[in-house]
Amino acid sequence: MIEATGLSKVYGSKTAVDNVTFTVKAGQVTGFLGPNGAGKSTTMRMIMGLDRPTSGRVTVNGRPYAEHKAPLHQVGALLDAKAVHTSRSAYNHLRAMAATHNIPTARVHEVIEMTGLEAVAKKKAGGFSLGMGQRLGIAAALLGDPQTLILDEPVNGLDPEGVLWVRNLVRYVASQGKTVFLSSHLMSEMAQTADHLIVIGRGRIIADAPMEEIIAGTRQVRTLVRTSAAAQLAALLAGNGVTVDQNEQETLEVTGLDSRRIAQVALDNGVLVYELTPQLSSLEDAYFDLTKDEVEYHSHLTGGPAPAREAAPVTAGK
Amino acid sequence: MTTMTETRTSRVRSTAGTTGVTFAGVLRSEWIKLWSLMSTRILLLLTLVAIIGVGALAVLIRFSFLDEMSRQAREAGQTMTPEMMTESFPPGSGFDLYNLPNAGLQIGILVLGSLAVLFISSEYATGMIRSTMNAVPHRTPAFVAKAIILAVISYVITTIAAAATFLIAMPVFQGLGIDLDWSTDGVLYSVFTGGLYVAGVALIGLSLGALLRNSAGGITVLVGLFFVLSIASQFLTLIPGDFWKYVPQYIPSDAGGRFLSIGHTEGVIDPWQGGLIFLGYVLLFLVPAMFVLKKRDV
Repeated sequence: MIEATGLSKVYGSKTAVDNVTFTVKAGQVTGFLGPNGAGKSTTMRMIMGLDRPTSGRVTVNGRPYAEHKAPLHQVGALLDAKAVHTSRSAYNHLRAMAATHNIPTARVHEVIEMTGLEAVAKKKAGGFSLGMGQRLGIAAALLGDPQTLILDEPVNGLDPEGVLWVRNLVRYVASQGKTVFLSSHLMSEMAQTADHLIVIGRGRIIADAPMEEIIAGTRQVRTLVRTSAAAQLAALLAGNGVTVDQNEQETLEVTGLDSRRIAQVALDNGVLVYELTPQLSSLEDAYFDLTKDEVEYHSHLTGGPAPAREAAPVTAGK
Repeated sequence: MTTMTETRTSRVRSTAGTTGVTFAGVLRSEWIKLWSLMSTRILLLLTLVAIIGVGALAVLIRFSFLDEMSRQAREAGQTMTPEMMTESFPPGSGFDLYNLPNAGLQIGILVLGSLAVLFISSEYATGMIRSTMNAVPHRTPAFVAKAIILAVISYVITTIAAAATFLIAMPVFQGLGIDLDWSTDGVLYSVFTGGLYVAGVALIGLSLGALLRNSAGGITVLVGLFFVLSIASQFLTLIPGDFWKYVPQYIPSDAGGRFLSIGHTEGVIDPWQGGLIFLGYVLLFLVPAMFVLKKRDV
């Protein structure tokens, strides 16, 4: 269980985290989603006591992290796969970490085996690939068999087998009644892994709800309509809270009206409609919807679906 | 309910242990960190060899000097007694024979001081410091453990090297008839205090590493403090007026150096005063370093 209350972090003139309050519950996987620079890592670093909050307070399992007698048993964290001395072997790195809590060497071997690092355990960590570095970071997080697991971008650089392994691991850990808090920029991954989502943008929480609710609730139902008289139908449907986007010659995207009502309008006006498909919104849609005003670093090289989303709606009464 | 959960989990986590953070554990962790780097092991071994090597060189130079003097005396038809030889190194001249164990000390200061800077600055450079602070979120125990390990290693290496240097020196000077052995005034004092001075330098190095969080910067300041400042301060003595002549003895390297000698010299601080001043310098770096380490984001 992680509880943040009024948590803020200001670096100079930049507010990285702005008065954030949330709770990460035990027994489920909570995803932490947000654009680059939204404050995810800073929040996680404050949870782990690496950064001192400018104001507010955050506790893990009832206490600030530093006040636990056995912090590694309370929280295992992977915040940065590069938090390793490059000239030290993975085995010795874990052994040094374990020694602080008198964790036996047998456990070190156990986590090495769990993370599939046997073959490279005696090699210098500086030579590790990104994926191997992530595995070592996860091994270190698991060392104390913690009650709470905090993983910042854990699947970054992992191969598909590794991604699946992390997914199963966090699901298993959560099923044991433990707390799992993970950030990822891979939304498909998040959609498959998390039960609950906290979305952050520009240092503020913009959503904190179960996964299904976020996917279902944020965007109104969209319907894809193919018709021979697109302009005419668009004019008939638009207005009164209904928006119509025309992306292709005979294709409309209607938001705010269900398919039955669209069909009725078309029938009443004798317009031919040859496709009527409700669009299921994905986490990705929900996410873009939520964060469209909160993105810190806009990419100007937009391609793929982005221009479609920004296509000017056709409005009625022209 | 909380208690119930905790008992249940502590049984489950049998393989991970249950003691939590202990200072002995942190000390062991820091020891593993130091010892698991091949570069450190090689460096420590080379330091030992280098201190003894420089010491042996100093022995050789003094021997050649005395040998040449007695040869010239013989050619002039005189004999040079061991007493005359000993007097050619008057007390306080900086060439006292009792000081021979610490002849290679400057090398020890340079290498062990730099190693101390690196012991913490390399953690900042690699990001390891975040793992360290995660495991020991109180932070201070990790710093204290590093300090203890560095002080002990510096002391042990310097003391072994000092004793070895003296073992080389003893037969050489005894061959000239000079009465020099372990019971000579100041010899044992030198052997056992040289390491204290180097340990102090290592603690200043560790503090600089923690304050500056940068290897090159930390080593540069350390060298500035113990080598450049010492040379620079000599220029102060050129300033007219008695006052400036007494200033250089208060800088860290001179105060620390004075601590390693014996006897009272007029107008110079006593060894114990030098020791206290040096200790003051150590604390002047150590205390702010611990404070900053505790407060600063990593």
